[in-house]
Amino acid sequence: MSLVSTRAVIGLALVEASRLTRSILVLAGLVAGALMVWVLVYGSQPVWWNGSWAIGYGQTVVSMAVLIAAQFATGRAHRDGLAQLYDSFPSSAGRRTLAHLIGLAGAIPAALVLIGLATLVFELQGVLGTPELAALVAGILLVLAGGAIGVAIGTRFRHPLAGVLGGFVWFIPFSQSNRWTGSITWLFPWVKPDQLAGLPGPLTGYPPAAAHAVELAAILVLAGAIALAAVTVARRSRIGLVAVAAAAIATIVVTFTVQSQPVSTGDLNQLVSTVANPSSAQPCTISGEVQYCLYPAFDSKTASLRSPVNEVLAHVPAAAQSGRTLTISQYSGLSADDSTLTHGHSAQQVAAWQNQLLNAPANSPSSSTVYVNLGSWPTSGQQAADARFDLALGAAEWAVGLPTNTGAGAGTSTVAGPVSPQCVPLNQAREAVAIWLAAQAAELPPSPFQKSYRSLDNSEFAQVNGAIIVTWPYPGEDDEDGDYFASPGPQTTAAGYLLAQAMTKLPTAHVASVLSADWDNWTSARTTDTQLAAALGISMPAVPSGLLGPSGQVLTLPSTMIPPQSECTA
Amino acid sequence: MTVDVRNDGVLVEGLSRRYGQIRALDGLNLNLERGITGLLGPNGAGKSTLMSVLATVNEPDTGQVSVFGLNPRNGGERVEIRRRLGYLPQELGYHRHFTVAAFLDYVAILKEIVGRRRRAEEVARVLALVGMERFGRRRIRGLSGGFRQRLAIAQALLGSPELLILDEPTAGLDTEQRLRFRELLSNLPGDPVIVLSTHQADDIAAICPRVVVMLDGQVRFAGTPAALAESAAGHVWTADQRNESAHLSWRDGDARWRHIGDHPPADHEAAKPTVEDGYLMLSQTKEA
Repeated sequence: MSLVSTRAVIGLALVEASRLTRSILVLAGLVAGALMVWVLVYGSQPVWWNGSWAIGYGQTVVSMAVLIAAQFATGRAHRDGLAQLYDSFPSSAGRRTLAHLIGLAGAIPAALVLIGLATLVFELQGVLGTPELAALVAGILLVLAGGAIGVAIGTRFRHPLAGVLGGFVWFIPFSQSNRWTGSITWLFPWVKPDQLAGLPGPLTGYPPAAAHAVELAAILVLAGAIALAAVTVARRSRIGLVAVAAAAIATIVVTFTVQSQPVSTGDLNQLVSTVANPSSAQPCTISGEVQYCLYPAFDSKTASLRSPVNEVLAHVPAAAQSGRTLTISQYSGLSADDSTLTHGHSAQQVAAWQNQLLNAPANSPSSSTVYVNLGSWPTSGQQAADARFDLALGAAEWAVGLPTNTGAGAGTSTVAGPVSPQCVPLNQAREAVAIWLAAQAAELPPSPFQKSYRSLDNSEFAQVNGAIIVTWPYPGEDDEDGDYFASPGPQTTAAGYLLAQAMTKLPTAHVASVLSADWDNWTSARTTDTQLAAALGISMPAVPSGLLGPSGQVLTLPSTMIPPQSECTA
Repeated sequence: MTVDVRNDGVLVEGLSRRYGQIRALDGLNLNLERGITGLLGPNGAGKSTLMSVLATVNEPDTGQVSVFGLNPRNGGERVEIRRRLGYLPQELGYHRHFTVAAFLDYVAILKEIVGRRRRAEEVARVLALVGMERFGRRRIRGLSGGFRQRLAIAQALLGSPELLILDEPTAGLDTEQRLRFRELLSNLPGDPVIVLSTHQADDIAAICPRVVVMLDGQVRFAGTPAALAESAAGHVWTADQRNESAHLSWRDGDARWRHIGDHPPADHEAAKPTVEDGYLMLSQTKEA
């Protein structure tokens, strides 16, 4: 190619790049991609070993938009009835296609803006770890590969619908990747492994970012070669393009093979051990009667845990804390039964790892340890208030002698551990005390406090000692946006909540004074709600007696519909 | 028609091109010299096919073309021809979302006018030539049909081509613009080879030193407009009544009948033939 022709190709590429950068489609893709990243990371502690891949997931939308825009641009001359004129120009169809391919560089700013926006949000939320460069580069290559596919489509199919259809076909693997597990997953253009956010730190070689970036680069080259071959007439050039395409296919095969290599047994042993025996991997810092044990990568988050706990303990007499230790520990709901992570290992080995994980301390009852779910704490927005309340409630339950962890596994989505039903503090004043203490640490004024709590909708029940009672699902409990505890404390009741709610309307000093005056009595399993209400000078609020029918009558449910739970007696 | 081989013009020998059963060009020979050559012919005569072959976007089945001594079948020489070419196809679409200036700039790059400054000057020059200096920032979708046609002419003029192929460039132009277009073509610098296809015989009579009449894919006449007009001498007459034996008859501005035919009556009043008469006589002869 002569110097003039080369400069013409560069000139065309600059124009196409500029148009792509300003494309409404690409800008819309950027917004949608940013929203997707936001949805993926919202409500959880951002960590780079997950965030880098979450950004790539957002890039899939940008990639789809760039594919459509590139197809539009490539088919523009034919679509607009200018093909004959273009064919009379010295810049051949091959050079014009080459310019379209080079012009895909115009999509890079959108990909970089997405990375920049996500980084800004992550940083504002206190992201942990360091960005995984290979994953971020792979995301950019994903965008470019989508564009190259768009150019390839545009050289053959000029109708705009061809680009739209191509965009959706390109997108289908992303939306369906969750249907596949094991090494085949890495053949998909992009995957975000489910458990990344729950890892206590980056896992070497997982996901195989560098190899995946090379695979995407090969897809980019392959699509480019196909696009050029479609408009190249010269035999020698076509042979060269076939050679390039063959090399790209070979690279895809090789990179897939590399990505298919299992994570080493040693690394997985280490990971499982770290999760199943957190005490071996979590250095602890002690503050008064509380020790905070976090994985090293989360060390900087200790202060955020201290705040609600200290707020609760400020209202607990020192004597009641003396000689006891509350432990706040992190727990990962890691599952070995995830072939994306453990493919290539024997079923026996995977079962052994899974068994180790099921026997993690968080899956056993405890009255002195609160396990906060790794990846969910701390969080932001409305969920931050929920999470803060949950941690405060855990600390308060420890302070009043209720179990802090029932080992029910309710906070884990992937561990099918032995489910032990939560005990119920039936008509026990200490439950209301714990809820009141947690409310003091919630940093919420009374009205939002009450509004933010789910109303008693008579839809949740528990069966204790043969009686059916209405329970109170507290904020964040089984919250679909995030589970903050590995395993919850006791089942909170409507009676406890209503009494605590009434207590929040009293002067704090008055309540604190009454509680301090006879702490042991109020935290005894035998002291009732009514007794506490009387001591505070209020009436015990009316408690819903069960499921109400259309006319307000109380309906009775067969006891077999609700599994029996024990009363918290300790 | 005999042709002489020279490097400063366009030479066509034995050119044939079929589209299925339709023979668009049928052993056509032609020599196009510098200056304006008008191309006349009815629809389907092969004019657009010939022009697309000259513009190197269409390859003939048989025959040879030489443009400034360059062979378009040779890849390198074809590119060189295209560098010297300005082409306005008969049916030209538009990038509706481009501005006028952006479209011309894009075409200028495709024509390998690579210097940014030179391109800007060239775009400004051709916009001025077609009277659209103030339209640079306008979106093409907002232009009327006449202005779009002017834009189409402007793109063909980019780079001051040595070979300018214009397929019905005045379609859609108003009278004033047609006259301006004549002026524009007449004043183009560098004495390029211009091939102007049109159905407007008066355009040809006005600005073309040479005219070619095509019928059924062949050249039926090549010469000056005066010679074409003269070819109808003795076949054009006026009368008070319509003559049924004439090929064509119409009432002129004086309310007299103007006839074209082979056998004027004895008492006919001979009329001075025009280019249009010559073309009509040729085409009628062919039909007969």
